[in-house]
Amino acid sequence: MRETVLEILTGIRGDVDFENETKLIDDNILASLDIVAIVGEFNDEFDVEISVEDLVPENFNSVDAMVELITRAQE
Amino acid sequence: MAFTSLYFLIFAIICVALYYFVPQNWRWVVLLAASYAFYLLSSPKTFVFILLTTAVTYLGGRYIGSCNAQHTAYIDAHKAELSREEKKEIKASSQKKKRKMVALILVLDFGILAVLKYFRYYLQAAGLFDTGELLIPLGISFYTFQSAAYIFDLYRNKIEPDTNVAKFALFTAFFPQIVQGPISRYDQLAHQLYEGHSFQFRNLTHGAQLMLWGFFKKLVIADRIDILCDQVFDNYTDYTGGAVFVALLFYTIQIYADFSGGIDIARGIAQCMGIEMTHNFRRPYFSHDLSEFWNRWHISLSHWCRDYIFYPVAMSKFFGKAGKSLRNVFGDRIGKLFPVIIAQYCTFITIGLWHGAAFKYVAYGLYNGTVIVLGLLFEPLLRGILEKLHINASSRAWKGFQIVRTFFIVVCGRAFPRAASFGVAVTMFFSMFRLNHGVPFLETVMNLGLTPLDFLIIGGCCIIWLLISIYEERDARINGGDGSKAFREMMDRLPLPARWAILLAGFGLVLMLGIYGPGYDAAAFIYRGF
Repeated sequence: MRETVLEILTGIRGDVDFENETKLIDDNILASLDIVAIVGEFNDEFDVEISVEDLVPENFNSVDAMVELITRAQE
Repeated sequence: MAFTSLYFLIFAIICVALYYFVPQNWRWVVLLAASYAFYLLSSPKTFVFILLTTAVTYLGGRYIGSCNAQHTAYIDAHKAELSREEKKEIKASSQKKKRKMVALILVLDFGILAVLKYFRYYLQAAGLFDTGELLIPLGISFYTFQSAAYIFDLYRNKIEPDTNVAKFALFTAFFPQIVQGPISRYDQLAHQLYEGHSFQFRNLTHGAQLMLWGFFKKLVIADRIDILCDQVFDNYTDYTGGAVFVALLFYTIQIYADFSGGIDIARGIAQCMGIEMTHNFRRPYFSHDLSEFWNRWHISLSHWCRDYIFYPVAMSKFFGKAGKSLRNVFGDRIGKLFPVIIAQYCTFITIGLWHGAAFKYVAYGLYNGTVIVLGLLFEPLLRGILEKLHINASSRAWKGFQIVRTFFIVVCGRAFPRAASFGVAVTMFFSMFRLNHGVPFLETVMNLGLTPLDFLIIGGCCIIWLLISIYEERDARINGGDGSKAFREMMDRLPLPARWAILLAGFGLVLMLGIYGPGYDAAAFIYRGF
């Protein structure tokens, strides 16, 4: 799953080093437009329903946090 | 009681002294007493409205909190026997119950705001309601939006409800933020207000430095520029060409100096008591595009709109479905962008209306929304042109161009909120492109109410401001974070005499060069009116 998530992320923002960044939101690297695009792709790819309530910095600061969010949404 | 008055300074000093004088457990009581005293001294006739919003939000919040607790308890108790679908159903029914309460609170809170701020003249004209004697309550937009954020966060189960009405009253009315924000979030501010902070010399010095910086921007820069802006905007038919652009450019500097200066004073007072209020600015004029600008300008409002308007609209099932059906007609890209475009317009119309009911504010929102939407729509085209022209999008020259381009877009947009009406803004915009016949440009500018010395002071102070901003921006790029403390931390590392020399120089500049106006009454903060 991590590989697919990375692929989606680099498809949306090719200029970001997703492998090493751990403060994607806190350091203002990802903007709200990116988040909406990412969530749309996650929902389609992993058949989950990530809702507005899930849109908190902790869930999007790093790739691992996003993988965790998808895993939770699948449960 | 204006932030820039001597009374306010005395008030703030007494408040900070009392805060540290009483036992730690009771320090929040000092803050509540000071906040209500400040409100009663500043806007006594409208005090009842903040009480009303506080009571409605507090009680509604308790109800939503109890719904959350019931739901969590039930799910925990029956976790093993419930399927995923059943859990979803239970959640949906709990949310339905909460939604009714959220709607009721929002109607009441925003209803007060709408009647007193937006519809007062219409209601009075229709003879339905006499608002003649009634002033707009101090900080009504700020505390209403802050209360709404509290309710939305409770609805989303992000926070626990406040169980002490007096403490919640402090969260709503905390005096440094009531004049012009920032719009704080409950989970970021409330606990800081409630827990008593022990005295730390560093908090006091950093807070005082921030206040001094705020006074510098407000009194030396903003209030000096005010003279020029008033001259052009009040007599707009007399000016064309470069003079209009100069007025817009100076207003762009003035509004930033005025608003960020006020926020620095507010954050500085709070910091003196160990309270870290949320940021409202992150060097907005260094933005590469307008989206980034709104992520750096009036951050607490734009993030409010992002979390409670943009995300819910952009991610709503309704607009998602509409976007999917549009894919067949306009292609995949436009279909995907559709919900985002609708969300952008909803966000910017709200930001426009937040400033007031006049159409010029709606136009200001539409202008910003349209520029961003056009940027989204033409992004592939722009990328193609750059490739064809062999322009490296990550080069410093291109990034510099982007900053200048964004600044120019912002400068032009400032005509809407500042001009007397939408019509005046449009007239001024077009008159920028008409030549100023007869009088040379420099002569016109030199006759806009400012002396050559004033221009020199504004230029010099803006250079100091720019250098500090570059230092902070560089720090943010290298070390992460927002860089807002970088300069003060650098000052901490200086030898004591150098530190004091900078502080005294700053104090002297504010005292000698500040515009104090007749009777030493500084011009009112622009955002106080919103």
